[in-house]
Amino acid sequence: MAKTQIEDINRNIYDFKKEDNYDYKIKKGLTKEIVEEISKQKNDPDWMREIRLHALEVYNELELPTWGPDLSELNMDDIATYVRPKSKLNSSWDDVPEDIKDTFDRLGIPEAEKESLAGVGAQYDSEVVYHSMKEELKKQGVIYTDMETAVREYPDLVKSHFMKCVPVNDHKFVALHAAVWSGGSFVYVPKGVKVDVPLQSYFRLNSPESGQFEHTLIIVEEGASLHFIEGCSAPKYNKVNLHAGCVELYVGDNAHLRYSTIENWSKNMLNLNTKKALCGKNSEMEWVSGSFGSKISMLYPMSILNGEGARTEFTGISFAGKGQNLDNGFKVIHNAPNTKSVINAKSISKHGGKCTYRSLVRITENAPKSKSSVSCESLMLDDISVSDTIPTNDIRTDEVEFSHEAKIGKISDKAIFYLMSRGISEEDAKAMIVRGFAYPISKELPVEYAVEMNNLINLELEGAIG
Amino acid sequence: MSKELLKVKDLHISAEDNTEILKGIDLTINKGEIHVIMGPNGSGKTTTANAIFNNPAYIDKKGQVIFDGEDITNLKTDEIARKGIFMSFQLPEEIPGISVSNFLKVAKGKITGKPIKIFEFKDELKKNMEELSIDPEYADRSLNVGFSGGEKKKNEILQMLTLNPKLAILDETDSGLDVDAIRTVSKGIEMFKNDENAVLIITHNTKILHSLKVDKVHILVDGKIVAEGDRDLANVIEQIGYSDYKS
Amino acid sequence: MILNETPVRTSKNFNSNNIELKNFEVPQENNGFLNRNIYINSEKKIMIVAESQEDSERLNDLYEDNKVLVTEITKSDFKLKYGVGQENNPNQFIRVLAKEGATGVAINLEFTFDEENTNLQDAIEIYAEKDTDLDVTISYVPNEEFGEYSYHNGVIKLTALENANVNITVVNLLNNSSDNLISFENKLLDNAKLNYTIIDFGGKNSITNYYTDLFGKNSDNRVNSIYLGNNNQLFDLNYIAHCHGEKSNINIEVQGALKDEAIKHFKGTIDFKKGCKKAVGNENENCLLLSDKAKSLALPMLLCSEEDVEGNHSSSSGKAGQKELFYLMSRGLTEKDAMKLLVRAKFNTILEGITKNDVKELVSNAIDSKL
Repeated sequence: MAKTQIEDINRNIYDFKKEDNYDYKIKKGLTKEIVEEISKQKNDPDWMREIRLHALEVYNELELPTWGPDLSELNMDDIATYVRPKSKLNSSWDDVPEDIKDTFDRLGIPEAEKESLAGVGAQYDSEVVYHSMKEELKKQGVIYTDMETAVREYPDLVKSHFMKCVPVNDHKFVALHAAVWSGGSFVYVPKGVKVDVPLQSYFRLNSPESGQFEHTLIIVEEGASLHFIEGCSAPKYNKVNLHAGCVELYVGDNAHLRYSTIENWSKNMLNLNTKKALCGKNSEMEWVSGSFGSKISMLYPMSILNGEGARTEFTGISFAGKGQNLDNGFKVIHNAPNTKSVINAKSISKHGGKCTYRSLVRITENAPKSKSSVSCESLMLDDISVSDTIPTNDIRTDEVEFSHEAKIGKISDKAIFYLMSRGISEEDAKAMIVRGFAYPISKELPVEYAVEMNNLINLELEGAIG
Repeated sequence: MSKELLKVKDLHISAEDNTEILKGIDLTINKGEIHVIMGPNGSGKTTTANAIFNNPAYIDKKGQVIFDGEDITNLKTDEIARKGIFMSFQLPEEIPGISVSNFLKVAKGKITGKPIKIFEFKDELKKNMEELSIDPEYADRSLNVGFSGGEKKKNEILQMLTLNPKLAILDETDSGLDVDAIRTVSKGIEMFKNDENAVLIITHNTKILHSLKVDKVHILVDGKIVAEGDRDLANVIEQIGYSDYKS
Repeated sequence: MILNETPVRTSKNFNSNNIELKNFEVPQENNGFLNRNIYINSEKKIMIVAESQEDSERLNDLYEDNKVLVTEITKSDFKLKYGVGQENNPNQFIRVLAKEGATGVAINLEFTFDEENTNLQDAIEIYAEKDTDLDVTISYVPNEEFGEYSYHNGVIKLTALENANVNITVVNLLNNSSDNLISFENKLLDNAKLNYTIIDFGGKNSITNYYTDLFGKNSDNRVNSIYLGNNNQLFDLNYIAHCHGEKSNINIEVQGALKDEAIKHFKGTIDFKKGCKKAVGNENENCLLLSDKAKSLALPMLLCSEEDVEGNHSSSSGKAGQKELFYLMSRGLTEKDAMKLLVRAKFNTILEGITKNDVKELVSNAIDSKL
């Protein structure tokens, strides 16, 4: 049978470039002077400046990872780590400068804010240009603001949590992040408060040969709940851009957090992001992750189940096309009794793209009666692509239920024949099967603002076929 | 208009390993008729159905298949389906992530070539599901995924009623079913059958035939039709088996 | 010493890329190993042990139409792609050559450890020519009541030519103060079929590297392996299969149980190379944990550069099913007996693959005494 043609995501909506029209762009490279200059530009308090300088030392000491995709094309001397856009932080879209506002308009952010979100943050290059949240949440004591404001206005909260969940020496790119971080969101949900409508932060990198290093810090107190959505995109340039964000999530006892990500960076992006959640007693941490863009992605969100009865779920899909190497996965540490994890990962490789599922499930001696189940499926759409599955399962006590299943293969000829016998053409049948494959994940993705993606992984078949 | 609906002329087919499975099948089915193909395991019954549907898994297809006056021998499977032939699969495929209702909506749109009126479609689907005693929840479940054997077969009959073909080929739709399920399947066939369409039933046993008016029975042994007759032939076979026809 | 590197690395923090044996030293004394028995069954009962390479060539010429040749070979024949055998300094060379068309060949190699024979570094090559049918059993067993340290570092290389059908059973029952290192390397051509049964019970450290290259169309390799650990035994299993040939088939089945503070690392890699259309690979690993101090680490990898393949792996760990235990205990079995029965049931299908009855019994007794 003919080869499947599953179209690339139409990237027109993401690929428009705005003039590199910054207010301040730090010179390229990574030195102590540069880190100090960023700190000065950002009016850091002393403690933050110290974290940055310490992190730079750690960065210089640490090696590049000895595994995974080849990162040799990354040269920090070519990357500007701080680009301040020509805009202050605004709470009304009307005050955001026209070309920046136009960017977010085209991405559908203000529209989504009106329709389905409780709050929105928007970052352009290194700084957040817009932040707003519904009044009623403010009254309940919910804080949703950019990280810089949080450092200034809630120094105790930030100081006691910043780089505590993800230690600075975790790996080289965490150290890099801590040295040059800028922007990102801070969320605080007080005890018992349920935020029913999602908050969303969107990160846009416009400036060429630069990096984005936003920091997201979310604290969901005991019994509270939140759904947070993170979106990211960038136009394509010829030289590499770097994204080394860091997400730290604190999920209190009986709290619930759902963290959804749609990553659609351009295909010159190295996405070396770190995300970790510390989960309290009977808490629930859900990750939903769609990874479509980037040239290289190394992304392994992690749940650390420290509280008895804590649960975590990971639902993720990677879709690698030509020239992409998406090395994604999940990590979970079961560190208390009765904890539970459910992992459901899928990947699609085509046009020579490479998907790797890499993971760790560790059930420690402290976690009797814990359960973990992993399901991992990879679809190969042609014979020039690559799909690898590299899971580590580390079980250190006996009273557990652990199971791992993985499958790799192509679209079944029998399934195609079955659909064709109902009058559906071969191409449509294949597209249908691919959508069906991705459905368990795509139905979890917030699609309000990702219209183009919706065309690819369409939840419903009507109209999309033919 | 001719009454002839399907004409199969000297159909040969081989499996991928070059063994010939069908060694010259001739078959004529007129509008309004119910035909039955019986035969032992491995005689080529399922292959006959698949060959009519031009399953690419087979090679060396020779002969001719004429449907409604048109040569469909080399059409693609989906084109054949759109001409108005339906096949109920012996082992229906499980397709995760596509709901029964959406799948049928797309298929019906393709086959009729007209946009589907959603409410009309949903009402009809609901009605047919009731008739076949299928839990309405199944409309939103993934196609055949986690369905029991009987549920899969009933789902095939539901698809037949929804797509309303001119010729329905039912490949062992009765196998592995309990008495109640066989009754439901027979009921579905009765609901479907009229003077303008036809049914070809491939089966092992005669239970499913009891309530149906069978016009012709073909006995298939080792890739050839070795005997033909009326429904009494089916009863004879049920009594004595195929040994008389084996070489 | 760092051994058993996986073909693809993952994060260092996962501790699964290799095994580092601390306080491990290769014994300096290498006095040879005499307790070796070779039994051969074939249509022509001929066995030849040559003293040197020239001798072996001479004998090969002499008995050209022999169905079976057992000859000595030299270290230069033993270059390994992977494996822990590079470290070995052989004191036993054995080559088994089944000539084209030889069928019904059964060979049994026994190595027995005792006070005099504590250091075995064997290099075995099995060469199955076209259309042969060969059954080989190799066992590494201590003499009764021998509890001292012994060192085994073995290499077993197999080449199976077109349509060869080879069945190999390897049994390691060394005592728990020993070190067992073993490397397997197989090469299969068109339609060659290889069944491997590996019984891995012995050694304080038991390090296995199994590497197979399925070059041939329709080549087929099934590996059934069981391990059973008690005390503070460590098992490190590194299984690697490369599918190159069309419709090649690899099936890795690893079943095990861990008592006390035993540790097992299983690393399994099925690598579908470009061009291996319609290849099928299955990998199933299951570890029964019989103590809260036992540890099971698994890294079941699938690497795929070909579209038209089917790859599956599954891995599971946990306690014995409480329902099954309860059922057996309701029939009057003690918990210990019930547990034994469950472990045995788990191993049974793999034990069935052992063709020699005395070896089967040996293994069966070992299960009892370990549990």
